[in-house]
Amino acid sequence: MGVTILTPYPLQNKSGAEAIEELSKRLLALGATQAGQFLVDGDIFEHSFKKIKIHVMHNSEYPASVFSILDNGQKQIPLITDLIFDLLMLKVNPIYSSKKMIKIESKGPRFELGDFLVKLGSVTMSQNQNFKGILIEVDYRPCLVPAFCWDLIKEFLQGLLGQQAPTAIPGYFTNTLPSNNPNQHYHRFNDTYQPIDTVQQYLEHFNNYRKQSQAPTI
Amino acid sequence: MENQINSAINAIKLLRSSVSNVFETTLSAQNNSIQDESSFLLELQDQLSTVDVNFKSIESTINALNVPSGPFTLGNTAVLNHEADPDRQGVYTDLVNSYNWYEKTHLYSALANTMLSQNSLKRSFYTSSNKRRRPTVPVNPAQLVDHMINSINTNNMTIKVYRPFGTPTSAFLHVNLSRVMKAAIILRGLVIELVTVKGFNEPLDSVDDHWIESRYAVFRKIQDHAHCAMLHFYSPTFAELATRSFITWLASYSNIFSEPCKRCQRFLLNNLPPTYRDFRSLEPLHEECRH
Ligand SMILES: [Zn+2]
Repeated sequence: MGVTILTPYPLQNKSGAEAIEELSKRLLALGATQAGQFLVDGDIFEHSFKKIKIHVMHNSEYPASVFSILDNGQKQIPLITDLIFDLLMLKVNPIYSSKKMIKIESKGPRFELGDFLVKLGSVTMSQNQNFKGILIEVDYRPCLVPAFCWDLIKEFLQGLLGQQAPTAIPGYFTNTLPSNNPNQHYHRFNDTYQPIDTVQQYLEHFNNYRKQSQAPTI
Repeated sequence: MENQINSAINAIKLLRSSVSNVFETTLSAQNNSIQDESSFLLELQDQLSTVDVNFKSIESTINALNVPSGPFTLGNTAVLNHEADPDRQGVYTDLVNSYNWYEKTHLYSALANTMLSQNSLKRSFYTSSNKRRRPTVPVNPAQLVDHMINSINTNNMTIKVYRPFGTPTSAFLHVNLSRVMKAAIILRGLVIELVTVKGFNEPLDSVDDHWIESRYAVFRKIQDHAHCAMLHFYSPTFAELATRSFITWLASYSNIFSEPCKRCQRFLLNNLPPTYRDFRSLEPLHEECRH
């Protein structure tokens, strides 16, 4: 595992399947080999009366772990546990209940290209699998610090996506975080990358998709 | 013999292509009735004469072929003809491939041998007077090594000395280069014996890890370059200077992911960052951009 950048891919009048196929062909032409499939999913458990949410997420790259993020509106507390956590969440069901309508997942083919790992995910929501968009994950496995290899990954993404490649550092890495010293601006860009960082990036994008789909009803 | 067969096959190819040209011309003439007849006839005549020439050349090359005097001696491979098991019928192609591969290895090793004999890269210092030809090892290498490591002062680099075999002559240096990479340098006296380069999250603690390659292409490539550098800086008479220069060179990899190639100004070439560092200027370059 190394630094992973997650970026949405604009569809531009193509269907999701067409875009995935086009990108797959492009990757294969660049010399990539397909290495199976991947799946990242996210579920939300809400407290019955307090304003607390628990995001429970799985990443097929870490099949024995459950990533959960406790969100009380102000602070996010991540926790990495064994798979048995899923069963624990069922036990606390009356207090924390899952909202099946906003269960979301990203899945698709997984490619290896040199030291890069590229995953093309189609994002679908709820049980009737509404297609929401495409998320591209690029993992540069040898490097562990985003600040060291952001420009390198940016160049890689430009080579793969052309005009659609992101030009700015994803907000997840540049947002200032609360730190013990108020004079010191702290963000994740210089931190050593952890598996939970990938999951939290997925969570940000998943939440964006959820907001988009809720917007019309408000 | 082989050349003759090759030229015969080529002649057949030429004939086939000229004949298909004739057919193409007639076909297109049929489709475009506007084309006037005389130019079509001229073109056809022209192509037919090419066919004639090609045909004659085939005849002559075939005449030049000698009839094989007897059955080919293929050794045991001839028995493959009688193989009935469909799984094994592909063996012959594999056999030919491995034969070719072996031939190439032979050729390349011969070339490498001449190259190496021209460039002396002998790693041990021999004195002509010493009949037993023992390589020289300093009197108290452990102290020298410790002194050298303490005097090396490079930013974002930490060096630790281990002596896993308890002998003062061999030391393992574990180099941590910021949060980018790890390297192990095995010394004999002050002379570098082996260099292993790994990613920052790869194990390098047990002795066996020193002989396992990194799982990342970028660090395997750096290790190759480190082996070249080790030979480049090698000097039996100034061992300390040589090892010191090598470590300074290795420290220049701290920007492996963050500095583009000095020549092409890009980060990636063949999906690798600039894995080479110039021995003098320490500038980052892609392996392909060196010259
Ligand atoms: Zn270059």
